[in-house]
Amino acid sequence: MILLLRTTVLSAILSATVLTPAVAEEIRTINIVTRPQTSQPSEFQFTQLIAQEWRRLGLDVNVQVMPWEQMIQEIWFSREDWDTTAWQMVGRPERSDPDEIIFNLFHSTTAEQGFNFIGYNNPDYDALVEQQRVTLDPDARRDIVRAAQALLVEDQPNMMLAHPQSTYAYNNTVWDAATVVDQSGIGIRNTWSYLQMEPLGDITDIILNSSDNVTAINPLYISGGTDSWITELVYDRLMRIGPDGLPQAWAAESYEWIDDTTITVTLRDDMMWHDGMPVTPDDVVFSFEAAGSGEAPMYGPFVTGIADMTIDGMDITFTLTEPSAPFLTASLAKINLIPMHIWEPVIAEQLTLETNAESYREDVPIGSGPYRFGSWTLNEEVVLEANAKHWAAPNADRWILRIVPNVEAALGMLRSGEINFLSDFPGDPTVVVAAADENPDLTAVSTVDIGFRYVAFNHRRPPFNDPAFRRALSASVDRRLIVGAAFRGYAVPSNSVVSPALAFWHNETTIEGMEAGVELAQQMLADAGYAVVDGRLNYPDGIAETLGE
Amino acid sequence: MKAITVIGGRLLQTAFVLLAVITILFFMFRLMPGSPLAAYIDPNFTPEQQAELMARFGLDQPLWRQYFIYLGNLLQGDLGESFFYRQPVAERVLALLPNTLILTFSSLILAYVFGVFAGAYLAWKRGSVVEQIGVPLVLTTRAMPEFWLGMLLLAVFSFGMGWFPAGGTRAPGAEYDTMWALYTSADFWWHMTLPVLTLAIYSQGLPLLLMRSNMMDVMREDFVTMARIKGLSTFTVVIRHAARNALLPVMTSFAIAVGYQIQGNVIVETVFSWPGLGRELVRAVQTADYPLAQGAFLMIALVVILMNLVADLLYAALDPRVTHE
Repeated sequence: MILLLRTTVLSAILSATVLTPAVAEEIRTINIVTRPQTSQPSEFQFTQLIAQEWRRLGLDVNVQVMPWEQMIQEIWFSREDWDTTAWQMVGRPERSDPDEIIFNLFHSTTAEQGFNFIGYNNPDYDALVEQQRVTLDPDARRDIVRAAQALLVEDQPNMMLAHPQSTYAYNNTVWDAATVVDQSGIGIRNTWSYLQMEPLGDITDIILNSSDNVTAINPLYISGGTDSWITELVYDRLMRIGPDGLPQAWAAESYEWIDDTTITVTLRDDMMWHDGMPVTPDDVVFSFEAAGSGEAPMYGPFVTGIADMTIDGMDITFTLTEPSAPFLTASLAKINLIPMHIWEPVIAEQLTLETNAESYREDVPIGSGPYRFGSWTLNEEVVLEANAKHWAAPNADRWILRIVPNVEAALGMLRSGEINFLSDFPGDPTVVVAAADENPDLTAVSTVDIGFRYVAFNHRRPPFNDPAFRRALSASVDRRLIVGAAFRGYAVPSNSVVSPALAFWHNETTIEGMEAGVELAQQMLADAGYAVVDGRLNYPDGIAETLGE
Repeated sequence: MKAITVIGGRLLQTAFVLLAVITILFFMFRLMPGSPLAAYIDPNFTPEQQAELMARFGLDQPLWRQYFIYLGNLLQGDLGESFFYRQPVAERVLALLPNTLILTFSSLILAYVFGVFAGAYLAWKRGSVVEQIGVPLVLTTRAMPEFWLGMLLLAVFSFGMGWFPAGGTRAPGAEYDTMWALYTSADFWWHMTLPVLTLAIYSQGLPLLLMRSNMMDVMREDFVTMARIKGLSTFTVVIRHAARNALLPVMTSFAIAVGYQIQGNVIVETVFSWPGLGRELVRAVQTADYPLAQGAFLMIALVVILMNLVADLLYAALDPRVTHE
């Protein structure tokens, strides 16, 4: 405490003496934030590595360690107050369309409250990502998405590091390996696997694990990663993201763009709710209305672009407020179809209450999906049963999710047969691969993720407002070193927010020939006017440090 | 009549302790770093939506008012709604409490039955080779951390020999119509073996050593010498005369051990994927789910306070020399 006071007083005196701008000013101590080693070993490791390289540039770097709960408070909700931080975007099926990432993360309108927490602001970039949104021709849109990625390489708003590989495993004596689906950017843990996996012997239940508890099974509440595995199976959607990462018709028999803002979807006529009632176009329209009712705040943003819906036989025509290329992925493949006869009174009642539809719990959730709800034992197990009447009925009999907070035990359970599909392993992937190598019954599959790890720069705070400075810092560390040291090889180097897993959209020139190293970074800094004086990096002449203590 | 006043006084004291616990819990969680915002409010929300949610959780009110609202609700038996699960806290806590109590009491009973007999035996064998091996062995088991012991048992008996399952309370997909059907099933007992064993091995040291030292005191007493002179068999002397008297402090320690055992439960429930209150508690603290964390702690505190009260009152029944008159 006394030490702290003394430093504060000392630095106050110091800053008072240097108030008159000298020719060049020393850059203050730069903070970089990471989560603890115990919960995020890779992140902690690459942060230390990066801090070490930045110090070689003459920066005084301070690594701050804090848990996620505190991090979101200090970074996300305090946008003026931090310098740099390790950050992560996780892969989700709906992120298979590049819009969610390239628009939300960097568009200037999302800087104040939304995902652009770094405060990046480039009107040229804004124009590009707005344009791709309204360009319905895939090839033309692809060119724009690639151009946007190239612009990001130039601006280096973040220091992109790697797309991790997710590693899962299964017992190949229980499940026919040929029927396990490796979904692009997602891995083998996906709905397609759960539908198509063919049992080889007597065991016909998919028994898988999650280290997280199930929070809720609610089609109007995005409550957690594990929960979404369940809702994706119990509920149908008009479209689904296919194994190739592109949206394909699901509950929709077909769809057709009438013009730039009108799309007609034809509903399959062989669908039934789990309680035996038929699925009608009215149910579909109601599902989209419920999402936009205000009682499902997390789904609201996915239907705001819909101006009107009309029904004609089995056809539903959506009229949009403006052309929307991501509409198929972001809306049609996102909204769960829910039975009107169950949810209409619920929504009506919730409108009169302080709570919203997220608090509502059905004893038996009723959807129309390929699996029906069986049972849910708190913090222990969720059982789903195959819906034999579904047009895409699963080959397995049951889907049993075990909650296993002990990660090491989960791997042991896979070996001993207590589970037969390892669907969650937050630990070191090399352990899973090694286990599969020594046991011929196990197959491990690693897949490059849509998600990515990076270090974010706060553009609101100099010197991070200077692209040259960001470029130099980013160039100081070779990404292959990060992949090897922090991810033990289970990641691919990255210089673009669009993962190579999204082959159609990924701009491979972003990472090809990317040069890095401390010498290069030093040269870049010198070229931009930054100089090292007495071992410390200084601003270019005439720029004052405004944020020093 | 007097006894009733004494018991009434005890109950009043208990109520006061409870109020203190509730108050400390309430403020403790709110002074922790981190905010419920991080865990429950989607960053995509507009400021209005965030404010609405804060209001719904009552987090927009001044702290003292939140406290009195909480107290008022508690008096009506309402533990509040979990921020994270959007469910009544009481429902979750009551669903998980039996699992934790079963683990706690079966392991403690096992530990105490074993500890009492083994302690008496070691006292009787004072100075022998049995004691020279036995006491260090007990101290070693007492020094093993539960998570380590648990992982060891898992590695050997579950993954090595394949005798016991590695987690949960039942086989995957096994369904039971009632809780009672589950708790009386072989499936449940089979799943319970390793976690109970872990906790029992960890906690047998206290009753064992306590029993042993009490026995050594009692064995020196005149009435034991008297019994020996009478020519009674060693077994009768040790078990019927000495052990009964040495047992009293051990019984008191049982009530206190319940409280300690809960902390062991937190770890064992995680190691063995046991759906109990301990795991729920850890998760609630991590996510700053105040109502749930308070509810879970309160339930545990309630059990501990109750056990102390029972021990207090039972003491008189066990030992005629102690009265509440």
